[in-house]
Amino acid sequence: MDTFLNLLTGFSALADWSVLAFMVGGFLVGTFFGAMPGLTSVLAIALLLPVTYTIDVVPALVMCASIFMAGMYSGSITATTINIPGAPSSMMTAVEGNQLMLKGQGANALGHAALGSMIGGCIGTVLLMAFMPVAAELSLLIRTPGKFSLVLFALVVIIIVDKDNIAKGVVATLLGIMIATVGIDVLQPIPRFNFGTETLVEGIDIMPLVIGAFAVSEVLTQAQSWNDPLARTLEKARGLVIRRRDFIPPMSEIRAIGLLAYLRSAFIGYGIGILPGAGGSMAAFVSYAVARSGSKKPEEYGKGSREGIAAAECANNSMCGGAFVPMLMFGIPGDPTTAIVLGVLVINGLQPGPRLLESQADLLAPMLGSLFLSALILIPLSLWLLGPYFVRIVSIPKGLLYTAIAVVALVGSYVATYSVFQMALAVLFGVLAYFMRQQNYSTVSLLLGFILGPDLEEYLRRALSLNDGNPMIFLTSPDSLFFLVLTAIFAYVILFRKPKRGPLARDG
Amino acid sequence: MGERANLFRAGVLLPVFLLAVTTVYLAASFDIHTQFSGDGEMSPRSIPILAALLMYAALAVVLWTELREPSDSIALRDMARPALVVLATSAYIFLFRPLGYIPSTLAYSAVLLIIFRLETRRPHIFALYVIGVTATFYGLFAGIFGVRLPAMFEGLF
Repeated sequence: MDTFLNLLTGFSALADWSVLAFMVGGFLVGTFFGAMPGLTSVLAIALLLPVTYTIDVVPALVMCASIFMAGMYSGSITATTINIPGAPSSMMTAVEGNQLMLKGQGANALGHAALGSMIGGCIGTVLLMAFMPVAAELSLLIRTPGKFSLVLFALVVIIIVDKDNIAKGVVATLLGIMIATVGIDVLQPIPRFNFGTETLVEGIDIMPLVIGAFAVSEVLTQAQSWNDPLARTLEKARGLVIRRRDFIPPMSEIRAIGLLAYLRSAFIGYGIGILPGAGGSMAAFVSYAVARSGSKKPEEYGKGSREGIAAAECANNSMCGGAFVPMLMFGIPGDPTTAIVLGVLVINGLQPGPRLLESQADLLAPMLGSLFLSALILIPLSLWLLGPYFVRIVSIPKGLLYTAIAVVALVGSYVATYSVFQMALAVLFGVLAYFMRQQNYSTVSLLLGFILGPDLEEYLRRALSLNDGNPMIFLTSPDSLFFLVLTAIFAYVILFRKPKRGPLARDG
Repeated sequence: MGERANLFRAGVLLPVFLLAVTTVYLAASFDIHTQFSGDGEMSPRSIPILAALLMYAALAVVLWTELREPSDSIALRDMARPALVVLATSAYIFLFRPLGYIPSTLAYSAVLLIIFRLETRRPHIFALYVIGVTATFYGLFAGIFGVRLPAMFEGLF
């Protein structure tokens, strides 16, 4: 309870105008990147990662949190208005929202998306704050062998989630682990893989990998499939007239969706957020499918169901809260955005873990406050103020946009360490990630392999060292056994269990 | 002949490239020597060797699958524009310090806009975009965040 109250007290940091400015600025950046098809909030945070070297940790974390929340919500804007999801997590919103748009009720659909996002985001953050002290207590029970099995669980789940590309997922993860082994060994002061150069003795920083994998590769991918859809999107956007008063959903529609539906979607999103590698798309899809299977009006689905929009948007924003739990408590990111936020923590010398909550609550609380206020105030406020202009975001020339992204990515790589070598590394990783993306290798697995690889190695070697090299410790230690069994259960459910045929399956 | 030509596609070349990287990595891992070792102590080379062996196995599966069911491949002509972007970016990195932020970024933005075929027929709009991109990020990094960007031609002296 004390920790919960400490976190609430930490919200006061948001009263500082400069921190508040970072929150609002981050929200606007996240809204822009989330709404623009092809851009994501992950890319936004990746591009701003170098900036975190030059500002304090509190505004950096506050900004990341508001980008995360905004990016998850704003994908629904272009999904609804022009049927192009701004982010993958808004795919189900596009199915329902654009149908309402075609019926002349686009503003109403945007209103329901914003309300669902608001409720989901708030509940997800409250659940995060309420359960984080419990998670911290539980994490104290996990010893070294258990930590190894937990990291292994995370890596295995991340790989098998994409069950059609498991071998490629393994390759991407191992590549990340191999890149992470460059530099000083995790336990002994021995340089590895520096090939006689001093530059590589310090290892490879997360920043060029993030910028290369998410920004440079995106510019190259766009360059490859270049056809500026400006004329087409402008044509679609030109006839749209959206009035502010239409954004407010009538109470009768909200009652028809029901409080329980919002709560259920929020809990589903939060739970999926905790799972490594699952992310907003899965949260939205599962919640949508559950809502559809239990709906009183299943015939409305696919034809503009407000309940479907609410379920999908509520879940993907609630996921934001869940994704922070494994990252803050165990250093295991639930999705690529929290993986980059983990980078921000590490850059600022903060080590995730149960002690973080006790010793650094003053640093974490503003970030959680930013998540909460972004959901509660900025989502509805931005819709009210900017809603009528949202759709014009897509009319920005893509050539200009990607030129700007290339410049900010490269200059950002330079400013973090004033090193041209970092710029070159970002391009090298960008080219590699470009080819990987072309061939369906997951760049998220690459990043998470890079982040979790050193932990996996350290815990494995420590556990064996403490037990005279006896590998049975991983089976005899209860916490380790728990995570190994959990890994096996997940592998069975994801790989072998056939899904029940529901309405979605029947509809193809 | 067609079968042989098919081997030169990204679906095959990428895992082959990664095989070569893994081989260099594995060879280098044998040069790592431990400073001390006790009972049950894993040496600093153990995990790299294990990772390399697992990588070989995973790449073998990827190659086997790729040869049986070829994935969609990028046509060579589609690679031209990304290759130009990489070339322009390499030149930008090479000239960033010698020329300084402003001239190098003006040139880089202009080249990228030409690659993306944006407003090349309206020079005044084109120039506005180039100057706008350069000035915006100068303002962001140097103005707002106080970062010291390379000054014009400082690297030449």
